[in-house]
Amino acid sequence: MSSERWHITLAVARYKQGADPHIQIFELEVDPDEYVLDAVERVWAFHDRGLVFRHACHHSTCGACGMRVNGQEKLTCITPIRAVCQKDGTLKIEPLRNFPVVSDLSVDMTSLYTRTESAAGAQVLNLKHSSLPFEKNLFPDDGLEHERLSDCIECGMCVSACPAALTDAAYAGPAALAAAHQTVVQKGLSALPAWVDSAEGVWRCHSGFECSAVCPSNVDPAWRIMELRRLVILNRVRCLFGLNKD
Amino acid sequence: MKTPENSWLWLYKIVAGLLIVALLGIHFVVNHAVAPEGLLSYADVANYYQVPGIALMEIAFLVFVVSHALVGLRSILLDLNPSPAILRTANTVLLLVGAFAIVYGVWLVFVIQSRG
Amino acid sequence: MRNHPSPSRFPLWFDPRSRHPGTWAFILNRITALGLTLYLFLHLYMLSKLSQGPEAYDTFIALAKTPVIMVGELLVIAAGLIHGFNGIRIALTSFGIGTRRQTELFWLMMVLAGLGTLFFGYVMFFKD
Repeated sequence: MSSERWHITLAVARYKQGADPHIQIFELEVDPDEYVLDAVERVWAFHDRGLVFRHACHHSTCGACGMRVNGQEKLTCITPIRAVCQKDGTLKIEPLRNFPVVSDLSVDMTSLYTRTESAAGAQVLNLKHSSLPFEKNLFPDDGLEHERLSDCIECGMCVSACPAALTDAAYAGPAALAAAHQTVVQKGLSALPAWVDSAEGVWRCHSGFECSAVCPSNVDPAWRIMELRRLVILNRVRCLFGLNKD
Repeated sequence: MKTPENSWLWLYKIVAGLLIVALLGIHFVVNHAVAPEGLLSYADVANYYQVPGIALMEIAFLVFVVSHALVGLRSILLDLNPSPAILRTANTVLLLVGAFAIVYGVWLVFVIQSRG
Repeated sequence: MRNHPSPSRFPLWFDPRSRHPGTWAFILNRITALGLTLYLFLHLYMLSKLSQGPEAYDTFIALAKTPVIMVGELLVIAAGLIHGFNGIRIALTSFGIGTRRQTELFWLMMVLAGLGTLFFGYVMFFKD
């Protein structure tokens, strides 16, 4: 951390149930190499203990601190202030879109959690199933099994960014579809959840690719949704010609 | 979470879209080849439709454009998460509008062809 | 519920701020889709003049050669090119072709649509 100090303004979206939503302005002195989450915490610590926001690990593993910074989805614990603001600049901080706001910057993530759970996505995966196929293999083939945690941290930023999720509460959403693809990679097409090949599954996506643009964790949900489309269509065509058992 | 699947309708929209691009290209090339100065009068259009194959090409163009557009409109409606009743009504309306547009267009082609 | 997905938020589909090129493609595709669908039905209506005989159709064509209408026609051509080229991009990426290069593919398609529009604009307005 440097000893540089910036004056910045935070325009924070406030909302308490039963009251009108509004933007509240806070003037802060910050180290520009600190993170946006640190600035939000400063507001809580020194200005308003009533500010509600989700945060936990502070190192992009838990997925709790997703917010909209100047309108764009960011994982605030790894977004340096310097990257999104200038000296004497203003940062607009808002909660994620497309989830009901519980209080201030904290949203109700229930729909995301229940949907990814129904995709039966595993958290621990064999390395050959856990990385995207076009990524470089980081480990030599030493004949041993390698495992790691799957990439998705369920931060919900993809759902927030998705234009289909904006108007359609029934849409499965990029996170759940990405989890479904992960399941298929691991267990085969027969493990495909039924809701994927439906009007509220892969066919609701309009190829905006915004989900992959904002994902902080290399899930690439858009690529996975396109893969699911390809797999589902190929499977259906094969079934039509009687080339498949299912 | 299971709702009626849309995979064939989506695939049709994509295939129809690609056919439209191809037919559009053919439509422009043929238009220019048959009538380099443009189809600027009633007589020009009537003569155009005398050329063998053009009527069929234009009808195919019509069918794919109308169906692609209406499947697309339905897709936009689905983004708004309509109730099953609204969706059923929309399906019927879109089907009727599409059928009418295609029948009407085909009838027009035959009328023009007969007056050439 | 505040911030909950809702059909009434559809105007936000068209807000390009803080979005990436993929979403700009979605916005352009949706706007051109609606515009072209409207044009389709106007065009079918216009063609009904053909069934009313030469006078009705030729009078209408005279109207079509006014500058305002010709600019409108060029906009329709531009919309058709944008929607068509972007549609090809969607068809390709939906089957795994170019999915990881979809941004570059979008810019390529828009350049092609722009060139096409310039070409037709030249032919319509400057070629005698």
